[in-house]
Amino acid sequence: MSAPSRCIAAAARGFKSIPVARISHRTITSHTSTPAASLRQAIGGNTTCLRALQRAKEESSKNGAGRIRNFTQSASRSKLKTIDQIRARNKGGPFNLTAAILFVAASAGLWAYFRHEKERMARKRIAEQTKGIGKPKVGGPFQLIDQDGRPFSSDDMLGKYALVYFGFSHCPDICPDELDKMALMYDKVVAECGNVLLPIMITCDPARDKPSVLKEYLTEFHPNFIGLTGEYDNIKDTCKAYRVYFSTPNNVKPGQDYLVDHSIYFYLMDPEGDFVEAIGRNFTADQAAKVIRDHIKDWEKPLKKEMRWQ
Amino acid sequence: MGWFSSGSTDTSGVKKTEGGAFESPSRSNRKQCYAARDAFFECLDKNQILDSINSKAGREKSASVCGEFDKEFEKNCAHSWVEYFKKQRVVNYQREQTIKKIEAQGGEISAPQLPLPGQK
Repeated sequence: MSAPSRCIAAAARGFKSIPVARISHRTITSHTSTPAASLRQAIGGNTTCLRALQRAKEESSKNGAGRIRNFTQSASRSKLKTIDQIRARNKGGPFNLTAAILFVAASAGLWAYFRHEKERMARKRIAEQTKGIGKPKVGGPFQLIDQDGRPFSSDDMLGKYALVYFGFSHCPDICPDELDKMALMYDKVVAECGNVLLPIMITCDPARDKPSVLKEYLTEFHPNFIGLTGEYDNIKDTCKAYRVYFSTPNNVKPGQDYLVDHSIYFYLMDPEGDFVEAIGRNFTADQAAKVIRDHIKDWEKPLKKEMRWQ
Repeated sequence: MGWFSSGSTDTSGVKKTEGGAFESPSRSNRKQCYAARDAFFECLDKNQILDSINSKAGREKSASVCGEFDKEFEKNCAHSWVEYFKKQRVVNYQREQTIKKIEAQGGEISAPQLPLPGQK
């Protein structure tokens, strides 16, 4: 850069940064003055400003650090010098589009945040309702066998969330619908949260639902479903622990045809084996998946991601 | 019992145990059963029959008008399912009528159920 052009650039900068210079530029008398001249004028003006304490105070409150360098690109009020300009500026009061957008955005942000927090606290309250001593207990220890004939106890549920459903393979219409829904729910949750949910179906009909029957039955719904069965008394105790009503005839002959009446809720259990929430038949798969996902996301302690037999 | 003889001798339906239960309540078997049920109920609807199980008159009328569909129904479903669906048909109809009646009187009706997310 050559010396004269640098000089002009510096003058231009001064011209931009010093409001007094701009004012002088706008007045007709100094209209012909060069930028350099206005710069000098501005410096002179500033020294007088410093001497008069009152004026200096006003200046600094109006311009802030603007005398040295302008940090803001927005129009400063001191720019408005004619009555028309001031009138136009004050017509809308202190409100303008930027302020409106900022206000709306801040309100929406706060609203969303508080809503989210409120929902989270509500979920936490639900999840902790059954924690601790003296609270109603749903679920509990059990010792059953899975669809491959391997033992499966309540301890195998620890470390992951579990979705427990009670049903039976000879169920006419509700259980198959609910198990189809459970498969959808399971896939949705796993897609978002990873492999942290055990989909478990416990039979209320241990006389007919042997491991091999459950295996064949559940594979049609989802290959990852775990089917649990056991001796009649074990199943009865498990159902009792989960507060599940069921009415299987105790002594049935092989091949006998009967139905089992039972409660139809999904029980969401947390990684410590505590009951979190029941999901009813009125929930769609999406609604149910949302409930489960939200609880999983609230969980702050570690979760097991690996499969049980790996 | 009609379902027993037709179920064990005829092999065109689903495979059943001696007691009349499904040998395997698989998805395809369920589908077959639902189709037979829907065909039977369609026949009942056409002939203005609601109850085909609880009353003697209903049983006789459905047997004379929709006997063929009934046999197919029994053949393709476990007997317990047939009874269940027939009773469910009556219960569902009565429930609908009750709801309509209450709503016609200006009342609100909702079955007791767990609150959905966001309804709490």
